[in-house]
Amino acid sequence: MRYLPSADGEDRELLNAIGVKVAEDLLSGVPDRLLMKRPLDLPPTSSELEVLRDMERMAALNKRFRTRFLGAGAYAHFCPTAVDHQISRQEWFTAYTPYQPEISQGTLQHIFEYQTLVCDLTGLEVTNASLYDGGTSCVEAALMAVRVQRKRTKVLVSEGLHPHYREVLRSGFASHEELSLVDVKLVDGVTDPVDLAAKLDDSVAAVLVGYPNFLGHVEDIKALADLAHGKGALLISVTQEAMAFGWLEAPGKVGADMACGEAMSFGNMTSFGGPFLGFLAVKDAHKREIPGRVVGQTTDLEGRTGYVLTLTAREQHIKRDRATSNICSNQGLIALRANIWLQLAGPEGLKGTAAQNAAKAQFLRSRLLELPDWEAVDDGTPFFNEFPLRYTGDLKAMRQTLMDEGILPGLDLTPHLKAYKNCVLWCATEINTRHQIEHLIEILARVASVVG
Amino acid sequence: MNLRQREPLIFERSVPGKIGLDLPKLDVPPAKDTRPAHLRRTSFDALPSCSEPEVIRHFTKLSLWNYGMDQGMYPLGSCTMKHNPRLNEKVAGLPGFADSHPMADEALVQGNLALIHTLQEWLKEITGLAAVTLQPSAGAAGELTGVLLIRAYHVANGRKRTLILIPDSAHGTNPATAAMAGYEVVDVASGADGTVSFEDVTDPATGKVKKGLTSLIAEHHDEIAGLMVTNPNTLGIFEHRIDEICKAVHDVGGLVYMDGANMNALVGVARPGDFGIDVMHMNLHKTMSTPHGGGGPGAGPVACTKALEPFLPRPIVVRDTEKIGEGEVPKHTYRWDWDRPQSIGKVHTFFGNFGMLIRALTYCYSHGGDGLRTATLRAIVNANYIRKELMGVYHLPITSPTMHEVVFNDEFQAKNDVHTLDIAKRLIDYGFHPPTIYFPMVVHGALMIEPTESESKEELDAFVHAMKMIAKEAEENPDLLHQAPVTAPLRRMDETTAARKPVLRWQPA
Repeated sequence: MRYLPSADGEDRELLNAIGVKVAEDLLSGVPDRLLMKRPLDLPPTSSELEVLRDMERMAALNKRFRTRFLGAGAYAHFCPTAVDHQISRQEWFTAYTPYQPEISQGTLQHIFEYQTLVCDLTGLEVTNASLYDGGTSCVEAALMAVRVQRKRTKVLVSEGLHPHYREVLRSGFASHEELSLVDVKLVDGVTDPVDLAAKLDDSVAAVLVGYPNFLGHVEDIKALADLAHGKGALLISVTQEAMAFGWLEAPGKVGADMACGEAMSFGNMTSFGGPFLGFLAVKDAHKREIPGRVVGQTTDLEGRTGYVLTLTAREQHIKRDRATSNICSNQGLIALRANIWLQLAGPEGLKGTAAQNAAKAQFLRSRLLELPDWEAVDDGTPFFNEFPLRYTGDLKAMRQTLMDEGILPGLDLTPHLKAYKNCVLWCATEINTRHQIEHLIEILARVASVVG
Repeated sequence: MNLRQREPLIFERSVPGKIGLDLPKLDVPPAKDTRPAHLRRTSFDALPSCSEPEVIRHFTKLSLWNYGMDQGMYPLGSCTMKHNPRLNEKVAGLPGFADSHPMADEALVQGNLALIHTLQEWLKEITGLAAVTLQPSAGAAGELTGVLLIRAYHVANGRKRTLILIPDSAHGTNPATAAMAGYEVVDVASGADGTVSFEDVTDPATGKVKKGLTSLIAEHHDEIAGLMVTNPNTLGIFEHRIDEICKAVHDVGGLVYMDGANMNALVGVARPGDFGIDVMHMNLHKTMSTPHGGGGPGAGPVACTKALEPFLPRPIVVRDTEKIGEGEVPKHTYRWDWDRPQSIGKVHTFFGNFGMLIRALTYCYSHGGDGLRTATLRAIVNANYIRKELMGVYHLPITSPTMHEVVFNDEFQAKNDVHTLDIAKRLIDYGFHPPTIYFPMVVHGALMIEPTESESKEELDAFVHAMKMIAKEAEENPDLLHQAPVTAPLRRMDETTAARKPVLRWQPA
């Protein structure tokens, strides 16, 4: 086996030194009745070349698309070549959590810089080394809000949150019988302020609102925060498309008390939904309630600046059942990808990419609306790089035609949101060219004329 | 190597006007500004402006201050720092996988579904359990999923149960998880041999009595939802009465969760399903070699019995079958089953850390069933070799048979005022990553060493030599150890000030 440093001579030397005849003699701690009496019923060892061929065959069973207009929580963006090259360094990807700061300054300084950037993007003061993904970041944010709000037990959730985020929230809250989740309706594709006001009372700890929301719409987070604050509730902004931070004001600067969500868009592939990058940023006053690893700046014995894991008194290995969360492993290497992407992009690169996203999405929408079968939905509601449109033709057949032509269409919203039956959630990013959009329109026009 | 000993924060290097990422010229009309005026992004305080070579150099210099697996033994106990095969990285990057979209129709992602299904089948055979979910993102997420399954099972059976029993040797995530799942935690005593004690245990120093499993079960009986046990436990010792533990808990209607953080000691040797375990997780970033990434991403699949299967997170991958004659024959197509009315719901936005699942299956294919067992045995041989070579040099507080890791402590060195932290830091000067220290907490001043199967005898000998030299130094020149490390880029860090006056981000002057 190519990964094992095994050879008859060396194995013998080790066993002799230990004083046993065969390795199996070392299993004396396992009672005989519990030992496996047969080999694993699995295929035998394979060479690197055989495994590569097998895995290539499996990968080829997935259909690849030249053109993609699907977002809905996983976005195809351009990633500079330097990102892959850098994270392939063994110093980054093989290292463990930086428990020994003297020999982990690389990871620690990177996390400190990453934390700085997440705070900059969100307009908040404290963040952690990452959470698993957008959905679980909502759970951690909501549970944290309940902790800091003491006796308040209700959390309001806008129906504009990604349906998967809402389901993850429900799974995470199911075991907390003292807590409840209450949905807030949408109007014109954004959180309904009337319904929100009606549901806000002294028992509400926090309100979660998409920014932009699942439909790609820009919520007026300021107005919603004012409503929440009026009843002493916290406003948690949930961003499933972090590229929007280059287009929209930082949530912390327009009233959000906490910001969480998904930052896979910075330097990652859609990779079937993982590994992605959950984030959570909070105000300084709440820093001792934040879950997960946090890196802080300090000095060594000789007064030189360095970085360490800090505020560990919140964490499971110290506090056990009174910890702020059970999280330990997070998404370290994915946070590194995001950090490299953001440093390459800088303020101009981020704003420029975001502006291209908005431009391509607006162009796509206006071209689609020129076709006979497409109807505007939530007209006038501002959006970033995604928007819903209703299709009046045979939606299934239309989507199939596009897929046959090598185009991955937007999401069929029918199974996800009741009010959006026969609607498609279209997404365009900087990687979609005008040519791709025109090609899409051509095919759709053809579909329309065949049916019409 | 790093010739310069300090790399400034990137923010100090930023020069407005520089950029490291460019895009094609916009080929559609510029966006109309539809944003409400107060929601327009205007400025950033920290995002740096740098060219590509500057950013690459910055990160490359930072990387050189990290110690990685390819530089030498990384004997962090319980973390399983084994070789990270490069093939696994390449396969995870194959465009067919990397481009695939989680919201795409299932017909478009048959390769992914086949991969998930295949890995589940491997894990079922390895654990001896009936069903598997790959959704949890890490060990702790797997634990939470497992405990939520236990909870859902009791709720479905109309039982109100409030307690989870956890041995005092457990990792902190166990009690933290039980609390997150809404349970109260009750500690179970460990016996002198380091395993779960059925009898009550009196601490010889304090005279305090800690309750064993028998009296806890008698006392709490039908309040017990379950027990969480790590096997082999955090001392690297197999819980030799695990089947009796399971039976005792089952007898009062409780279920048993196994923390499979140390599953790398059992693969191909023994199967939790055969012990009576109801549900467990394993860490693919330990047992299946997916890289630790400086703190993730990991993956924490959960395996469970048939009785718990209905509660698994949704969706589940189902392999299609067709009727041929009398029988159902599996086909080569797969689909998602979302219609799972008893499911605890999703525990990840999509389907887990899929990229890590690709790496894990690649690892499985490379090893095969036979190679997996060989790897397990070699890991056990390596740990026992270290135990043998260091016994007498360092104190071995618990002498039960060692599986894949061995726990010493600083008792011999403490008389010279040399402690575990000093020994760990001195190892850095000898060119090794230190072992896990001060864990498990049931051993005072623990030094928990896990070599894994990746280490050759030559590397093990080099490590043993370093440990022996350090023990000698502890006798002859203890101050050398108090000063360690002296060869690392930085000396010991002031962690107290870091926590008291936290500086958690850079701010412009």
